[in-house]
Formats: sequence, structure tokens, C-alpha cells
Amino acid sequence: MSTALWSRVVAGVVTPAVVSGFFAAAALTSMSAAVAQSAPAAKPDPRVLMGGFHPERMDSQGLTPHATRATVTPPEDIPLNRLQVPPGFKIELWAHGNPGARMMARGDQGTVFQGSRAIGRVYAISDKDGKRTSKVIAEKLVQPNGVLFHKGSLYVVAINKVLRYDNIEANLDNIPAPVDLTDAFKLPPEVHHNWKFLAMGPDGKIYMQVGAPCNVCEINPGVHGQIRRYNLDGSGMEIVARGVRNTVGFDFHPKTGELWFTDNGRDWGGENGFEEELNRLPKDMIGAHFGFPYCHGNGQPDPDIRVPNPCANVVLPVITLGPHSAALGMRFYTGKMFPPEFNDAAIVARRGSWNRTVKIGYDVLRINATPDGKNPRITPFVTGFLDTAKNEFWGRPVDVMQLPDGSMLVADEQNGAIYRVSYSK
Amino acid sequence: MQSHDPARRRFRRAFFFLALTLVCGTTSAQTRGDPARGAQKAAACVACHGPEGRAPLPGMPALAGQQREFLETQLVLLREGLRNVPGMEGMLRGFNDRDLIDIAAYYSAARPYTESGTRDAQKHAAGAAQSRARACGSCHLSDYSGQRGTPRISNQREDYLVLTLKAYRDDKRTGSDTNMNGLMYGVSDAEIEAIAHYLAHQ
Repeated sequence: MSTALWSRVVAGVVTPAVVSGFFAAAALTSMSAAVAQSAPAAKPDPRVLMGGFHPERMDSQGLTPHATRATVTPPEDIPLNRLQVPPGFKIELWAHGNPGARMMARGDQGTVFQGSRAIGRVYAISDKDGKRTSKVIAEKLVQPNGVLFHKGSLYVVAINKVLRYDNIEANLDNIPAPVDLTDAFKLPPEVHHNWKFLAMGPDGKIYMQVGAPCNVCEINPGVHGQIRRYNLDGSGMEIVARGVRNTVGFDFHPKTGELWFTDNGRDWGGENGFEEELNRLPKDMIGAHFGFPYCHGNGQPDPDIRVPNPCANVVLPVITLGPHSAALGMRFYTGKMFPPEFNDAAIVARRGSWNRTVKIGYDVLRINATPDGKNPRITPFVTGFLDTAKNEFWGRPVDVMQLPDGSMLVADEQNGAIYRVSYSK
Repeated sequence: MQSHDPARRRFRRAFFFLALTLVCGTTSAQTRGDPARGAQKAAACVACHGPEGRAPLPGMPALAGQQREFLETQLVLLREGLRNVPGMEGMLRGFNDRDLIDIAAYYSAARPYTESGTRDAQKHAAGAAQSRARACGSCHLSDYSGQRGTPRISNQREDYLVLTLKAYRDDKRTGSDTNMNGLMYGVSDAEIEAIAHYLAHQ
């Protein structure tokens, strides 16, 4: 990029469309430059922005992502007694021994399927002869985080891979070869922020996201930073939400059928910068823009990628969920077991921060709001994974899922465990 | 001249703060894994990584003094074939989680390896500038010794660093997360070679 254009971008006089077009070109240029092993480019280097580097913001206190434990955590090493739930609730260890297990989906016959990230596995947890057992049903996949069960089939989505295991629950002892739908879904190959969350919409379509392949950067809005829906066979792709940095949790409101989703704010924005969000996509605004990379949180312009009126026509969140707190799995509560204040409440798992010296998150929240997203209120639901006095965590909740009896499962990625939360008067 | 650089002073201050935190927090780290048992389990590793992981063959990483959490994760990924390194999956077949935890404890306790080799002043300076510009020290710490799941990269074999950084850039591997893939996006071969040279000669 020429210095002149650079200054115009920084000064905010170049429109997003111009910048997008330019950065698409810049990306191609940088790729050919890499192949040709050219000398380091003169500053400012567009690749720096493409990759989301802002070293001046990273001269920090040694913050680094927490690696998920890849080895089995035995149940005696899980300090269940540190967990706190509201009066009348009980939390118990429901499954364990599944390193890195993350997003959950439940089969009609009660099997709980879990995807994962770095460990590349899909687990199936089921009760056999009165005993809860788990097994690896798929492995060596690249970040198979997305799982969905629909009409007897398990859908597994990894990076640029979509697999369907038909009649899976009848074949848990001898997993059949999956139907490979990868070509039909045409997902991008980038790994970063491209692991999936899956949900079945009230319209019978599969919803999934494609995140931004960076911390913060200009993206191709036709490919990245969006939520999409597809027909079950991968046809009919539509972008339903844009400007979404990295959502790993969504559900449809029980009253309105509207899509609500969490989204993770950018890193390296300071201790209290750029909060995670809980968003609502109004029915008549399919394709609406939620701000990334120009407008974050409750309407904060990005300090690095500047455009005029960055928050114009951006749908702001129902509520923000704390800076760096990593709000991931989210589902509405529709059961009969919990007290009335849980009816239609959004239950959100916060995996917890890494990009913040004072850790926050590491809990499960209940968020009440009206169906149109007004009057939002946050109430802690499951806490105790984080010792705030020592600034240390031992568990990381990443997903929640309601069981038919109205109790709720909470997946803890750090310990490869699932907890069950139940209630009785 | 560098000591008057305020950024460097800030890095240094941050490092001391962290070192203090690490010293205070080592109790739990030391109770995980049995280094003596790990040494026995690691007998076969000597062929490529050298005694105590200190004399790696070309293209192989030194393991001595590597971060324990990082080693644990990588050993699992290699055993499962998720990080595809010819030979490693077979070497680790039959090793259970406890074996890997002990091997990680053994290598992490060893005195860190020091790369020897000719230092090219110009390339070193270019690499230093690149490393600062890309804020490698933010996660790997200002002396590049790493922390927890983030590896020690100081004085690692230069050829191994080049291979690794290219693999991240080209999405040929990920770590326990994909931050390195995002961070290396679009970095040129020449830049990678300079960074590797600088890190290998600390």
C-alpha cells in the first residue's frame, strides 16, 4: 500500500468498500511477494494489518492464550465442590475423560456428541448397561468443533470439511463411513476463527458461522465474518448476519424464532476494551451488519481500522458480556425443571479471558430480556471455575445444552468434563 | 543504545513481573509429572533429539528446557497424528497420557539448549526488528523463553524455526490454538528466515 493511501485510511477518508477492494488486492500482492521472497516491504506494511498485528498494543504483561489440556483429567482432579449454583440447584459430574471436548449435540436416543478443537476428535457419550461410557467416533479432523443432530444423522463440521453420519445412534459400536458433503458447502480453508458452531433453524436450515481469519483486519465480507444458513445438502447458502468477528454460540428465540448469538470482541484492545456481545438478528433484517471490523461492543470504533461513521447501520448488541471473557456456547432455556426466571432466558458459557491481566469469565450466565431484546439483565448461574483472589482458573465452560427433563449440561473444555445442573424445590 | 529504548525497558519490567509470578506459582507446576520416569520413557528420543534433548539432528527441535505444558500438548498431538511429523506417531504409539506427562516433565527440567553457529550481524538485526515489530515477546516473553503453553523459542535450531514458522503461515500445522496461524498470515520467507536467525542466536 502506498503511504498516501495508508494515511487516507488512517485519517478515515476512504470508504469501507474502497478499503476492502484494496485489501483484497494487497493480499494477493503479499502472497506473490512471499513466493518471490522479496525484500521486506517498506513501512507501513499492509500485511501487518491483514494479519491483525498491532505491536504497539501488544507490549503487554506477557499475556498468552491458555493451552487446553490435551491429556485425560481423572475425576478426582476435578474440584467439583468449588462450583457454585443458586439455591435449590445441584451440580454433578455427568461425564469425564474426554480431553478438549467442546460443543454438544444430543441424539434422539440420548447420546451426547461433542466436538473439539486441537485434539481433532468427536466424542459420543452414552449410557450402556447402566454405565456412562464415552468413545471417540471420529479423529484426526482439523478442529471439528461443530456438531448437530438431525433426524438420526450427526453432522460434523471441521475446517473446510462437512461430514454426515447417518443412523449414527444405531451404529455407535461400528461407526459407518460418513457422507462427505464438503464440496457442497464450499467453506473457506483458513483455520483461524473458522471452527464451527452449528444450529438447526426453525426454517429447517443448518446455521453456521465463518469467523474473521485474524484478530482484527479487513475481511472479504462475501466469505468471512458472517453467519450463514444452508439447506441440509449444502445448497442454497445465504448470509444471514455480517460483521460478526467470531461467534461460537447461537440459538433461536423460543417466542420469535429470531437468531440470537454471542460474539467475541477483538484482542489487544486493553484491559477493558471491546466487550463480547450477545446479539439479536431481527426477522426483517436478514443480512444485517454487526460491526466488525469497524465497530465493536456497544458502538466503539476500532482504533486501527478506521472508517467514517463506523457504527452507522450496525446492529448493536442486546447486551455486552465483558471484555475478553470469551462468551461461547449459548442456548435458550425452554424446560420445565428450573424456576420461572429461567423461562426463555439465554444461558451463556463464558470460557474466560486470556488477553487480560485480571481474569474474567470462566462461568455460566443467565440473561433475561424481552423477546425484542429490551431490558437485558445478567445473573450468574454457575461460578467457581475462577479463583478471583488468586487470579487462577481450573475449568473453562464452553457450551450449555438442555436435557429433555429440563436439567442442563455444561461442557468444561479444560477438564474434558460435562456437568449436569438440576433443580428441585 | 537499546537500554535507552523505552519499549525495551517496558518489556524488561514486564518480564521481571512475570518471572516473579512464575516463581510464586511453580509449586503446582513441579508436582505434575515424574522427570526420572520420563527420562526412561524418553530413551528412544535420543536418536534424533540428542541426550537430554540437547543435540538435535538437522531440522529437529531441541527439547531441553522447553515449556512443560507446551511439550505435553505437542506430545499428544504427535501421538494422535494430529501434528503430522513422519516417524513421531509411530514412536509414541502405546504411550499413555502419564508417559507423555512424565516425558514433558523430564525435558522441561533440563538446562535449556543453546544453538551454536555463525551469526550474521545484518540478518540478526533484521530479525530483531521483525520480532519486535511482530511483538513475539508479548506471548513468548521478552527473552523468548516462553511460558506455560507458549514454547521457548530462544536458541532453538534455526532450521527448525524456519520450518515451523512457514508451517504456521501455510496452515500446515496449528498449535493448541490457531493464534500463530493468524499472526504469521502473509509473512514472507525472507522475514521468516531473519526472525529464525535472530531467535536462534540469543
